[in-house]
Amino acid sequence: MIDEQIYRRFNHTIAACFVIYFLFPSEILNLQRSYYIVLFWILVISVEMARLTKGIKILGMRDYEKDRIASFVWFASGSCLLLGIYEMGIFPQSLVIATIIMAAYTDPVIGEANKRWGDKNGIICGLVCSFAIYQFIIGVFIYSIIGSIVAVISERPKIKWFDDDLAMQIIPITSLVILNWLNLLPDLVKDGVIIGGGI
Amino acid sequence: MSITKLYILALYLVAIICSTLFIVEEHYNIAILLILGNALPGYKLAESLMRKNED
Repeated sequence: MIDEQIYRRFNHTIAACFVIYFLFPSEILNLQRSYYIVLFWILVISVEMARLTKGIKILGMRDYEKDRIASFVWFASGSCLLLGIYEMGIFPQSLVIATIIMAAYTDPVIGEANKRWGDKNGIICGLVCSFAIYQFIIGVFIYSIIGSIVAVISERPKIKWFDDDLAMQIIPITSLVILNWLNLLPDLVKDGVIIGGGI
Repeated sequence: MSITKLYILALYLVAIICSTLFIVEEHYNIAILLILGNALPGYKLAESLMRKNED
């Protein structure tokens, strides 16, 4: 049997590749690229509906996910929401890129660290991981500090109807954008634009 | 080849293609993060698949 734990972790980290969206051309097959976010989300929801209604077994699902929305749906919904709000011109690009990659990596890092070294060290590892990712992409210390702390706090509550995969994306980026609007945070480098245009 | 193996192969391809595209477009910081973040779980998963085949 495939090690399902590692399989789940890899499925989680691979979700960082959602940021490839920013390399897409503005139009694909005469359709604005933002429409593909909706199409992708509908595809994910369709798979999930088929899984829940027809009882299709997918490798890597946890037992408690048998009759509730799976974590991949929460993560995909969060990423699609971030990309959609970016297209509306509300979320800056650098924050969206950093947050998607951060959420894809930090949750599994916290999970592994919790398992091996306990809860306290799990929090420390999560903070280090999320801080490093924010700093590596955004490069503004205060954003990295606040983003990482909010991300790790968002991961803690275990709520059935609001998964941490969604919370770890929505809450940190919303907090950072609101603080920026209130002029409590400095402006982002190049107004948060990292990738000028698609391929 | 089972659907799961094909799916895993597709995941590896996605990681490789995305990282390569970011390198080509000179967004090295994103490419490095994609490579580093997926390398360990990807390696561990490959190892677990090999172990399964040995058994």
